[in-house]
Amino acid sequence: MTDSTAQGLTGTREDAQDEPLTIAANPPQRALGLHRELTKAWANDSGWWGQVTAVNHTTLGLRFMGTALVFFLIGGVLSMLIRAQLATHDGAFLDTELYNQIFTMHGSIMMFLFAIPMLEGLSIYLLPKLLGTRDMAFPRLTALGYWCYLFGGLIMLTALLFGVAPRDGWFMYTPLSSAAHSPGINADVWLLGVTFVEISALAAAVEITVTILRQRAPGMKLTEMPLFAWYILGTSVMMLVGFPPLILASVLLEIERAFGWPFFDVARGGDPLLWQHLFWLFGHPEVYIIFLPAAGVLSTLIPVLCRTQIVGYGAIVASILALVFLSFGLWVHHMFTVGIPHMALAFFSAASLAVAVPTVVQVFAWIGTMWQGRPELKLPMYYILGFFLTFVMGGLTGVMLAVVPFNWQAHDTAFVTAHLHYVLIGGFVFPMLAAAAWWMPQITGRERVRGLGEAAFWVILIGFHGTFFIMHLTGLLGMPRRIDVYTENPEWVWLNLTSSIFGFVMTIGFGLFVLDMALQAFMGQKQRRDPWRAPTLDWAMPLPAPAYTFASIPAPRHLDKEARDVTLPLARGEGLLPGAPRRRREFLVTSLAGARPDHVAILPGNTALPLAVSATIGAFVLLMLAGLYPLTLLPLAGVAALVWLWGRGMVRPVDEAPIPVAPGWQLPEQGLRRRTLGWSGSVCLLVANGTLFASLVFGVGFLAVVAPGWPGPEVQAAGRAALPGVVLAALMPLSGALAVRWAEAGQRRGSAGLVAAGLGLLANAVALGALAWLAAGHMDDPTQHARDALRGVLAGYVALHAFIAAGLGGFALDQTRRGEITPAHGGVLPTWRLWQDYAAVTAPIAAVLAVGLGMST
Amino acid sequence: MMWLARALLGLGIWATGFSLVYALHGTGCARGWPEVALAGGVDQHAAALWAGWLATLAAGLILLLRMPRVSAEAGLRHWLPRAGALMGVGATLFTLLPVALATSC
Repeated sequence: MTDSTAQGLTGTREDAQDEPLTIAANPPQRALGLHRELTKAWANDSGWWGQVTAVNHTTLGLRFMGTALVFFLIGGVLSMLIRAQLATHDGAFLDTELYNQIFTMHGSIMMFLFAIPMLEGLSIYLLPKLLGTRDMAFPRLTALGYWCYLFGGLIMLTALLFGVAPRDGWFMYTPLSSAAHSPGINADVWLLGVTFVEISALAAAVEITVTILRQRAPGMKLTEMPLFAWYILGTSVMMLVGFPPLILASVLLEIERAFGWPFFDVARGGDPLLWQHLFWLFGHPEVYIIFLPAAGVLSTLIPVLCRTQIVGYGAIVASILALVFLSFGLWVHHMFTVGIPHMALAFFSAASLAVAVPTVVQVFAWIGTMWQGRPELKLPMYYILGFFLTFVMGGLTGVMLAVVPFNWQAHDTAFVTAHLHYVLIGGFVFPMLAAAAWWMPQITGRERVRGLGEAAFWVILIGFHGTFFIMHLTGLLGMPRRIDVYTENPEWVWLNLTSSIFGFVMTIGFGLFVLDMALQAFMGQKQRRDPWRAPTLDWAMPLPAPAYTFASIPAPRHLDKEARDVTLPLARGEGLLPGAPRRRREFLVTSLAGARPDHVAILPGNTALPLAVSATIGAFVLLMLAGLYPLTLLPLAGVAALVWLWGRGMVRPVDEAPIPVAPGWQLPEQGLRRRTLGWSGSVCLLVANGTLFASLVFGVGFLAVVAPGWPGPEVQAAGRAALPGVVLAALMPLSGALAVRWAEAGQRRGSAGLVAAGLGLLANAVALGALAWLAAGHMDDPTQHARDALRGVLAGYVALHAFIAAGLGGFALDQTRRGEITPAHGGVLPTWRLWQDYAAVTAPIAAVLAVGLGMST
Repeated sequence: MMWLARALLGLGIWATGFSLVYALHGTGCARGWPEVALAGGVDQHAAALWAGWLATLAAGLILLLRMPRVSAEAGLRHWLPRAGALMGVGATLFTLLPVALATSC
């Protein structure tokens, strides 16, 4: 065992970023032999069943992008229906009900079923290739995310076909979306469908974060990784923090609609403004969640197309960090007209202006890069120029809208519609079209048919600006958003007619673009490798990319070379961990900042489990929509059982012999490490969970302080008699945390730990029992006032986490009984500890809040 | 991990301070703090908001002063934490400036 091996086994020093990392090359092997060996381990199963069980990032990334493209086309068709209706002042093309459903679905599809899944798909497809690894951190989670996205999207589309689609606008404001004003299941379709889809967003955020932080090729320091990875890292962290407020809001509104708990009902202590706060806490960061990946594409493409290096790498990284934070301080600028005090308006107006600074830094970096280099006018560059023109205009109208007096004038008019389309189409669609033109040779292994792509660009550009530039004027002349007729305002007719005509021109352009992609995929000539002469690793492989991505993992010496110079050495196994000699899916896990090799991760193979889990969640959603609430317990139990199987699927005998990675380098496998990818994933999930809890605490504070109708009626049930239950529910998770520590101490000593695991399970079970006892007769009716509804939700939150912790404790008990926990291998214990500690912290906070709410009378 | 945490600390201080001041503002308006006069003719609301702003600014400045000075040539790893602290102080100054300029409720 060499020194380097010893370092690998005992753990790398995290901040050894400046120390050189030298790893000898593996001897070259026959590339074809490695290819066959790796394909056998990594390929999807054959046939249709292979599509069901696929967990490979290339397959799923393409599937995400393909499905998002289909939804984009459907959303585009809906927009044409809207434009047909508005082409004349008293259009009879659609009735008001259908028009409302169509504009709501257009916005919802474009935001939730196109933009976010498209960026997820691009990240999932590209990141492992760009970072020099073989797959995403959690392939089964990738597959679960895809199926949840597909099923959620199909539920929403089916609702449209049956005329019961959401109709309250894509941001679902209450009280319009409350049961009183929106009877039927239309709003429920949105709340449940979008939340179902958001499972995929959270899944993607977790695995993207972990993949970027822990799977970069050895030697690819955080401060030197491709800018695209920085952008996507910023995006994924924003998704972890940005989506939970919306998930919470959707859950609260669905509970209100289904069970009458009044979170947004003013008459019973609720407040519709709580919805707006929670929605826009997600909604404004969402704009940057969409923009950052697009900016990552631009930062990747522009230097290569200009034959130079990016200008201001460090400034761009700093700008990304600033955007990630500042974008969470803008949400109230969507609520400038609801009656917020001047000073609060000024806070958010200032933050909205400030966020322009990091955006502008990036725009100048791109312009500087083009100025420094020799721009080549290839198809992706057309779209990049289209981006500059369009996004800068959208950004400028954004600055106008950040100024409160102007905002008051333009609020809810077509001016805002024009602005958001300039930002989203300019800032996301144009870069994505550039990305498609850029990576299509990588995806298909074929060249495009010349000429058609350029024609599509011009038609799209002319169509877009013809549609939306004039819409600014329509808005300034006072036309509100979302109206279906404007009989009293003939002065808007020519403006709308012009927008409609150019809208159809734009649609033709998108049709040409899709045709161009189809021709390339099916009729293009075979593409030579690395057509763009790019420096990044995504081109250092055969085209199209093989299932295993790299035959050997790039070593530090491969990172500063052109892609074309390392393709063959990597294919011949001269990098790290060559081939699949153990016939399983393996890649390297590295340290967070310095990317020093830490251990070898072993991935699960193809499985239909993700499909089964998402189908079971889908059954829950459908039963909720049908109003069969008691029956929803069945799919919930099913999900719990499947998650147990999911966990069992990760258990396998731990190989205690070190794994050879390169001459003189051997690393332990993941089972011998405490901080595995799974542990990191749990940390990410708990960050998202913590944000949801913080949003709930905000909701409690907001309603208790600001909402009218407080204090509520006198508390009846909860008095001193309830105190034992509250104390047990609050403190038992803490006992569980002590038990898990005891279990860990036992594991290190080699003693069985059955008693400790059993006590941990018992502690959580007691907490659950205490909550059940409180719910059975010691809590006030949650339908009478928001205070009691909030207490119910807090109790539910604690119960959920006690249940999760109990499940993990039970799993640990089972593993101990089977002898799967050894002194070298802690099994589920590190993950259980994370979740148990989280429950131990949040339960007392929730208890204090619940008791405090009861005292507010 | 520590390096990344240090790089994010300055902006984290801004986020915490911004949330704190906004929460103080909302609470104060709802509870009638502007009507509660303190010594020197300052009302309770203004005092709370100024305290929140200045505390955030002080925390950001302390962080900035504790960050080692490095030149731009030192490499991203060395100057990003300081840049993060600087961005945090700048954002605190600008976005909470309304405490000094605007009427509170």
